[in-house]
Amino acid sequence: MARRISGKNFITLAVVLMVIWLLPLLLSSLWVKVVTSAVIFSLAATGVSILFAQLGLINLSQVALIGVGGWVLLRLNYATGLPFTVSLLAGGIVAAIIGAVFALPAVRMRGLYLALVTLMAAGALQILFNAFQFPNGGEGFWGVAQQSAGDVRRPFLAQTDGAYLRYVMLVVAICFTIVGMHRFAAPGRAWAMIRQSEANAMAAGVNVTFYKTWAFALSGFLAGISGGLLAGALQQLDARTFVAGDSILLFALSIVGGAYHWLGAIIAGLLFKLLPALFNDFGISADLTLVIFGIALLHAIITAPKGISGQILAGISSLAARRRVSRD
Amino acid sequence: MIDVKNLTVRFGGVVALDDLSLNITDDVVGLIGPNGAGKTTLTNAFSGFVNVASGSVSVNGLNLIGMAPHKRSRWGLARSFQKVQIVSDLTVEDHLATVLDAKGANRSLRESAIARALDFVGISSARNIPGADLNPYQRRKTEIAKCLVGAPRVILLDEPGGGLSEHEMQDLRRIILGIHPEFGAQILLVDHDVELIRDVCTSTAVLDFGKLIAYGNTAEVLRDEVVKAAYLGR
Ligand SMILES: Nc1ncnc2c1ncn2[C@@H]1O[C@H](COP(=O)(O)OP(=O)(O)O)[C@@H](O)[C@H]1O
Ligand SMILES: [Mg+2]
Repeated sequence: MARRISGKNFITLAVVLMVIWLLPLLLSSLWVKVVTSAVIFSLAATGVSILFAQLGLINLSQVALIGVGGWVLLRLNYATGLPFTVSLLAGGIVAAIIGAVFALPAVRMRGLYLALVTLMAAGALQILFNAFQFPNGGEGFWGVAQQSAGDVRRPFLAQTDGAYLRYVMLVVAICFTIVGMHRFAAPGRAWAMIRQSEANAMAAGVNVTFYKTWAFALSGFLAGISGGLLAGALQQLDARTFVAGDSILLFALSIVGGAYHWLGAIIAGLLFKLLPALFNDFGISADLTLVIFGIALLHAIITAPKGISGQILAGISSLAARRRVSRD
Repeated sequence: MIDVKNLTVRFGGVVALDDLSLNITDDVVGLIGPNGAGKTTLTNAFSGFVNVASGSVSVNGLNLIGMAPHKRSRWGLARSFQKVQIVSDLTVEDHLATVLDAKGANRSLRESAIARALDFVGISSARNIPGADLNPYQRRKTEIAKCLVGAPRVILLDEPGGGLSEHEMQDLRRIILGIHPEFGAQILLVDHDVELIRDVCTSTAVLDFGKLIAYGNTAEVLRDEVVKAAYLGR
């Protein structure tokens, strides 16, 4: 467990802070919006990756849980005067609880069966979203009216789109840190043991049900936070954003990006939101991205089980090794 | 004292344990028998990994049947598996830490418990090596060290000698002989190696087709004609 805070970690931290500071300055206003969405979906992709990489579980309900977090944030925004960050946390917690409920079948199921159950749960949420829509400042519990949406308060220091992007990146960095802390502490060890053999984990005293549920809750929490961030970014949410099929796409892109490193989740978010926007910008049909995603998924499954991030990291470490050799 | 009473385990039509009763008082007890006799099934009944049709397994009066498997482990039941269970991306130390996480040991106790167990089995130098890079004997030793942290009361070792060289067997013998004096746990040792059983077990039980066919002083049991016919003279 000798995982010291090394110089490498400080360099990573410095780079992350630089990016958080610089990125909003470098982008035009349209691209600020696109990058904000991409970063937000990276966070949700992290949840999918944890379940897959740590426990080998397939979760096809993540985009629906993003909707849950977004719904809670909008609901609290219109019904209360709570600060944005508090509503954001509330959305994360509600999505975590629903995610944990989705985990109930996971205790007994694996593989395809679990994937199907989570997909059906996503379908059920999609129906609810369609039926009740997202709060836009109307009356009553559902808070929906035939009117243009009201204002969603943003954090005090993040009123403009550029500042909001910084806020989003900060929240995502904090969430990545929380995930990293899980991986190198008791939950990460328990998950690794469960993935290898549940009997072995139980023989070590690991409460398998608890830790599986915890992983789903953490994944749901990340989805909920990203939903709240999305609501703050777009100022309103539309049921069509949270269709069950997009959960499959997000899962596939998490594999393409690489489920074993946070860089993979960033790549997944960029592919999910940035690539279609780029295609539009070039005047190419955004539907073509689906074809590319399909090819990328095949590529990942056949030749790169650790995804694009795995290839990049392997490339960097072999470069570093070569430099060390040439220095010696 | 370990008390197995009228224990029956079935897998469909196969009766893996047939109304088995066994009272264990010695500190290190052997369990032998031909392949398929039900030895692993007995350890699995202790752990709670198989459905028990009837009967009980109690230790010092506490019936384990009905306790969740992870709670049995936290209570003090430790075991190794016939097929070694090592996680490729956890280090040797991580394997032991997982057990201590579950038992809620505090920081200072953890460090000393881990160091003591690793030192005892002799893999302190491999402490930070991930499971994927361990050789077969280091894997065995990691599994045994994992059984030693967190104050175990009963340790089940399911064929720890499988696939080891003569030299490694010597070392394993030393380790198993030292466990009770050093850690105080009662040991149930399943193995095929009669030499190992003879050297470390005060008493030995022999299973055949899920039934106890002999039980008592190890030397006497190994001389028993019925045992020889069922097992040794294969
Ligand atoms: N999980 C299982 N499902 C079905 N049959 C099993 C299972 N485990 C063990 N058995 C059967 O129970 C009997 C006892 O097996 P086992 O306890 O593994 O024997 P041993 O460890 O003494 O070699 C064998 O006939 C085996 O095929
Ligand atoms: Mg066996």
